[in-house]
Amino acid sequence: MAMEMRLPVARKPLSERLGRDTKKHLVVPGDTITTDTGFMRGHGTYMGEEKLIASVAGSVERVNKLICVKALKTRYIGEVGDIVVGRITEVQQKRWKVETNSRLDSVLLLSSMNLPGGELRRRSAEDELAMRGFLQEGDLISAEVQAVFSDGAVSLHTRSLKYGKLGQGVLVQVSPSLVKRQKTHFHDLPCGASVILGNNGFIWIYPTPEHKEEEAGGFMANLEPVSLADREVISRLRNCIVSLVTQRMMLYDTSILYCYEASLPHQIKDILKPEIMEEIVMETRQRLLEQEG
Amino acid sequence: MEEEMHTDAKIRAETGAGSSPRGPGCSLRHFACEQNLLSRPDGSASFLQGDTSVLAGVYGPAEVKVSKEIFNKATLEVILRPKIGLPGVAEKSRERLIRNTCEAVVLGTLHPRTSITVVLQVVSDAGSLLACCLNAACMALVDAGVPMRALFCGVTCALDSDGTLVLDPTSKQEKEARAVLTFAVDNVERKLLMSSTKGLFSDAEGSAPSTNQSLPRSSSSAWLRPRRLRNTSSASTGNRCRGVTPRAETSWGRGPLPPPPPTHPLQPEANQRPSLASRSYGLM
Repeated sequence: MAMEMRLPVARKPLSERLGRDTKKHLVVPGDTITTDTGFMRGHGTYMGEEKLIASVAGSVERVNKLICVKALKTRYIGEVGDIVVGRITEVQQKRWKVETNSRLDSVLLLSSMNLPGGELRRRSAEDELAMRGFLQEGDLISAEVQAVFSDGAVSLHTRSLKYGKLGQGVLVQVSPSLVKRQKTHFHDLPCGASVILGNNGFIWIYPTPEHKEEEAGGFMANLEPVSLADREVISRLRNCIVSLVTQRMMLYDTSILYCYEASLPHQIKDILKPEIMEEIVMETRQRLLEQEG
Repeated sequence: MEEEMHTDAKIRAETGAGSSPRGPGCSLRHFACEQNLLSRPDGSASFLQGDTSVLAGVYGPAEVKVSKEIFNKATLEVILRPKIGLPGVAEKSRERLIRNTCEAVVLGTLHPRTSITVVLQVVSDAGSLLACCLNAACMALVDAGVPMRALFCGVTCALDSDGTLVLDPTSKQEKEARAVLTFAVDNVERKLLMSSTKGLFSDAEGSAPSTNQSLPRSSSSAWLRPRRLRNTSSASTGNRCRGVTPRAETSWGRGPLPPPPPTHPLQPEANQRPSLASRSYGLM
């Protein structure tokens, strides 16, 4: 069996072909952004003796009167209405704690969870005792953000039948800033798989269910074996997403689809090689630019 | 968009084993830093000073155990692992110094009831270990996007028996020195954040204006000016900055160091006295 080894080598800087128009104003913590007091301060800044000072390292963004510093890497910050994919970490009294790559664990209240069969009734003591039967530690769920508490913790709900426990598939964890905000985050790609783009950076790829039953996303996870063709499609999609992330491209259904089509001539395992990654992503970029302009 | 670090000072490469003696006043060994090299932690950095190298990883702000949570600010935890053996008392005291320095600088009140964990691993130790740990911790906190009031840097100085000052000493120079002092300085107001001293030195050497200016000022000017962030939005992983050793006489245009506050650690006393003092105090 042939083995291939790659050794680290000095990195080449990415070229300027994307046409960054304006030079960004980069700051480090402690740098003065401006001494003009007419601005409102946003994230990543703090006020110190009539000067606006940066508190994180990043680029300064200005929207009218609001100045904020966008850091390169942050954890997920919840907004009401976001779709997230999370993993159950704890089962507590009347609620579950869900890990969503944010600063504090998110909370899924028992009253925000839809019961099997979609019935609406008051949650009783028996429901509380049967919580572990619905969701255990380690389960993956898709949910929507209902509210954000004052300390930043996020409260989730699965009140629609399209949310719920996830069955078989592949999870890819990326940075939350790379997932583009769109109208819908559940996509059925024409290549034969479906994808959920969580706003918190967790992306779930799963085989498209043949028939949309009423309980899609309910509690019964579909454990039938997935066919080889479906598995190949899912692996290829996962590798494409990883290559888009390493080249820092925004993730949305069109970019993932174009990347998938650009990768078809290569073998699935070759997509992760750096030179093939660059080639595929460049092609994707070109197609996206053509489509826009 | 890439930004290289430009400086017109000379680079002085220092070989590992006790090489040519450096001039008085103060040049640093060749230093380098790399960020974003580990995939699991929120932020990571590796800092090299000559042959001393420390790897730092930062997790946070993240969920905290109820027993450790503080209701109005973030809980900062520092874990220092030596190169060989289990962590002992020396590591615990260094952890405390680093933690106090970080607490003075990190804006913990923005993230109540969370925890920020800094894990430091000593990869190799060839002198000035505490300073290298402080620098690695600062770069890792910046990489993780933790809000901070300012950047800070650490530098070690060694005073040998005839009073000459050597910055960033090697282990051999540290052993032969009469006193070894480590300082942490922030970059906004150049205030002293932490000092740790060991050995015999007189007040004249410690708190006299000339030494006072040369000690923290040369140390801070040596580190803080070349330390700029390379824009990583176009780089795939990691960013690297090459350090150069500037001369202490160059002025960086920030003005002279303010006069020492009354609580200066090196107290004015007429005699030489041994000191194993480690004091850390916050920015106030």
